[in-house]
Amino acid sequence: MPAGALTDERGVREAYAAHSAELFGFAVRSLGDAGLAEEAVQETFVRAWRAGDRFDPRIGSLRTWLFAILRNVVIDLSRARAVRPGLAGEGAPEPAVEPFDEALLAWQVEEALRRIGEQHRQVLVETYYRGRPYAEVAEQLGVPEGTIKSRVYYGLRALRVVLEEMGYEE
Amino acid sequence: MKSESCREWRESLGAYALGRLGEGERVALEAHLEGCPDCRAEAESLGAVASLLPHADPTHFEQPRPAPPADLGARIAATIGAERRSRRRRRQWRLGLGLGLGGAAAAAAAVLAIFVFGGGGSAGPAQHVAFRSLPPGVKIAATLEPRAFGTEIEMYVSGIRSGTLCRVYVRGPGGGAVSAGTFRYRWGADDTAVLSTALDLSRAEELIVHAGKRTFVAPIGGATALEDPHHEEEAT
Repeated sequence: MPAGALTDERGVREAYAAHSAELFGFAVRSLGDAGLAEEAVQETFVRAWRAGDRFDPRIGSLRTWLFAILRNVVIDLSRARAVRPGLAGEGAPEPAVEPFDEALLAWQVEEALRRIGEQHRQVLVETYYRGRPYAEVAEQLGVPEGTIKSRVYYGLRALRVVLEEMGYEE
Repeated sequence: MKSESCREWRESLGAYALGRLGEGERVALEAHLEGCPDCRAEAESLGAVASLLPHADPTHFEQPRPAPPADLGARIAATIGAERRSRRRRRQWRLGLGLGLGGAAAAAAAVLAIFVFGGGGSAGPAQHVAFRSLPPGVKIAATLEPRAFGTEIEMYVSGIRSGTLCRVYVRGPGGGAVSAGTFRYRWGADDTAVLSTALDLSRAEELIVHAGKRTFVAPIGGATALEDPHHEEEAT
């Protein structure tokens, strides 16, 4: 049996401690509802435990595996929500998978931006997301304009490191 | 290493990747990149990171990450524990029948076989019972399983005062409630209470929990069946 398998309750507890916060954060982002997200995370760990002996760390990380399960759970939940009584004949609309992958990408980048240093995040928010001139932000923060430029550089580098740590692959 | 001479160029690469260098600076930097493979590689790598920024929304990442409720882990452990126990019971009788063990084990298998096949038509899937509209913070969940003797009830409770005595009843047809026993809720005890009643699950209509002075009622009929792909495999 591979190490780190989820076949026992201790394995599930450890996996929960390590990954539940991320899975929940993403589930909220994807489903837009904390109650549904709770349901999704619970179902993810129960399914992971049931299929625990099929998890193979040589193929991918536990985190990747849990996210793959969560993906199916979210699709099932979306399908359940999409089925409305009284629309017989048309069948249930296929749940869109595309938005899920886009939501996963968005969430990963947002999570990475949460994890970089405050100063780096701040300059990226002000200059990139708010589109403010470097000189204006420099004046507001009381630093030379060159400092803003170098913070943008080190901010992007920090973001790259965090994304790599999170297992982001292009 | 020519990193010392590249250092000033390097610090412009972020602004360059985001298209924020002035025209003069950009032309000068591009001339440097032309002759410097290291800086060129760094510029490409940062360009890839910069291209991800449009996917993120600051209204999300400027908020702290939402945290799962503190008791979610305990609820998952309780659900898995209940399913594991019921699965193990099924495996026990199957092994007993299949392997033809002698002596006491065979006798035990016979008894278990009666449990399973002589259950008086009570066989059926375990059921989750959901308690809706609970006060904020209170969580009650139950899994009911048909047994030869009646119904086994596995209960999970949280959010009520520690030490509260809980009395559990099952209402059958005709309105009569049968006791399923008592348990005490202890704060931090991440476990389920296992109770039983003689009433068949197929006849059970409501699950009633008196917790201290409060009473919670949940319908049993039409409750969703436990979804477990292993059930069918194990039953064959």
